[in-house]
Amino acid sequence: MATVLILGAGIAGHTAAMHARRLLGRKHEVVVVSPSANWNWVPSNIWVGVGKMAVEKVTFPLEPLYRRKRIEFHQAMAVSIHPEGDAEHERGFVTIRSTMVGTKGKESQIEYDYLINCTGPKLNFEATEGLGPSGYTVSVCTAPHAVEAAEQLEKAIERLKAGEELRFVVGTGHGTCTCEGAAFEYTFNLDHVMREAGVRDKAELIYLTNEAELGDFGVGGLTFAQQGFQTTSKLWTESLFRERNVRAITGAHCTEIVPGVIHYEQLDGIVREVDFDFAMLLPPFRGAGMAVYDREGNDITETMNNPAGFMKVDANYQAGAYEQWSADDWPKTYQTPLYDNIFAAGIAFAPPHQISQPRVTPRGTVITPAPPRTGMPSGIIAKSVVLTVVDRINGKAKPAHEASMTKMGAACIASAGMSFTGGSAASMTMHPVVPDFKAYPVSGRDLRGTSGEIGLAGHWMKHVLHHLFIYKAKARPFWWIIPE
Amino acid sequence: MHVLKPQFDPAIDIAPLPTAKTLRQRRNLAYQFVRFLGINLKMIRVIVSGHH
Repeated sequence: MATVLILGAGIAGHTAAMHARRLLGRKHEVVVVSPSANWNWVPSNIWVGVGKMAVEKVTFPLEPLYRRKRIEFHQAMAVSIHPEGDAEHERGFVTIRSTMVGTKGKESQIEYDYLINCTGPKLNFEATEGLGPSGYTVSVCTAPHAVEAAEQLEKAIERLKAGEELRFVVGTGHGTCTCEGAAFEYTFNLDHVMREAGVRDKAELIYLTNEAELGDFGVGGLTFAQQGFQTTSKLWTESLFRERNVRAITGAHCTEIVPGVIHYEQLDGIVREVDFDFAMLLPPFRGAGMAVYDREGNDITETMNNPAGFMKVDANYQAGAYEQWSADDWPKTYQTPLYDNIFAAGIAFAPPHQISQPRVTPRGTVITPAPPRTGMPSGIIAKSVVLTVVDRINGKAKPAHEASMTKMGAACIASAGMSFTGGSAASMTMHPVVPDFKAYPVSGRDLRGTSGEIGLAGHWMKHVLHHLFIYKAKARPFWWIIPE
Repeated sequence: MHVLKPQFDPAIDIAPLPTAKTLRQRRNLAYQFVRFLGINLKMIRVIVSGHH
């Protein structure tokens, strides 16, 4: 009998748990540890954050599903990993601390044969003073954050209706944030709901981003074919913003947020400020912050993780300067170099470097988007890791399964509106996520799989995906046919 | 420290605007249904390429 322990129940963790349970016999244990009682389809938090979708539509409780599927579930956070065990544990184990009402704070240990770290990000609001729900801005990173954002937005729209003129700022709250696509989508949704409410002319909408130029999206920008020409996501985004009357501040690192004012430094090194009435700014991410100890109790966290707390896997972390970066730097199996029974999937794995060109201000401030590895890539990586683990448990002497972000694509659809004909969407696909200039010398990506378009079609697609992924996550009949 | 007011990206002011025909196409149900199929095909390509 083998125990597969999965830390986290987000897109990567839940995908790993469901596939592990499906593919492993009943004699093997699948155990999930997650601090949250609920699963959350994070991409749809955007709609919750503008008050267009109830939070119950994007979340569901994990315990009943895991009980039905015979997956052992602990509502707890992982505190430390002990890959070599200790005097009392022959196998590796993880110390967890309960987050459940009634047992909150109680610590226990879970032994494992295989460990899949899918802990996702720690939302590092502390990186910028005044950032986040405990500061002066809102967020849509979690379902409760999105609910609060919707409440504040509703109040702001009431003020617009009363005749006030207000400034809305949406974007990234630090120079090293990722998920610019989410900020872009929230901007798109704000524009839509304010037009619907008939108050768009009273609102100034500003997109404040750490991207050096619009359309970067943390992936170095896209090139796609349109009407016989190659165009860029930069021009595409600029055109959309001009059409929707959105102004932009690019290459910005927020240094401090005080009530009604965002202070930020730009790539030219100049510190500027912008006042606001409503601001949704994303936080930078850190790793989950679990300590790692060897059998003797020595702290090996810095060997296992990168300085940001993400777990090192089979990537090339010595790539050096931007000019030397290569597609081969990116991990394929997500196995840690020190322990062949520990993997990291989704946001939890340490990327070798950014995808966008790194930039530093004359003051030495790093303003570069971190590489996105959420959504589709998270799910694909998690499934690939599970296939490797299942092979090993079943004694198959096969090489580890591979899922490099230099081979996989992704889709990003910014969709606004709920009705069949009244919505709108800006849809992007890219293949691969990480450019491979050896395989695609012109732009690093396959033009046939890389696109950007605006219209109702993407809006329909986004709604189809929302229902499909929630169906899949709830393990409805034949869920496993739906790809990650 | 001397703090300045925001400087907005000037490229937006000269970005191409969609024509009336393009705006109509974005809302035309028949045209968008064809595009829906097109996006589906593109996404299938993206998905298949990622699942080895």
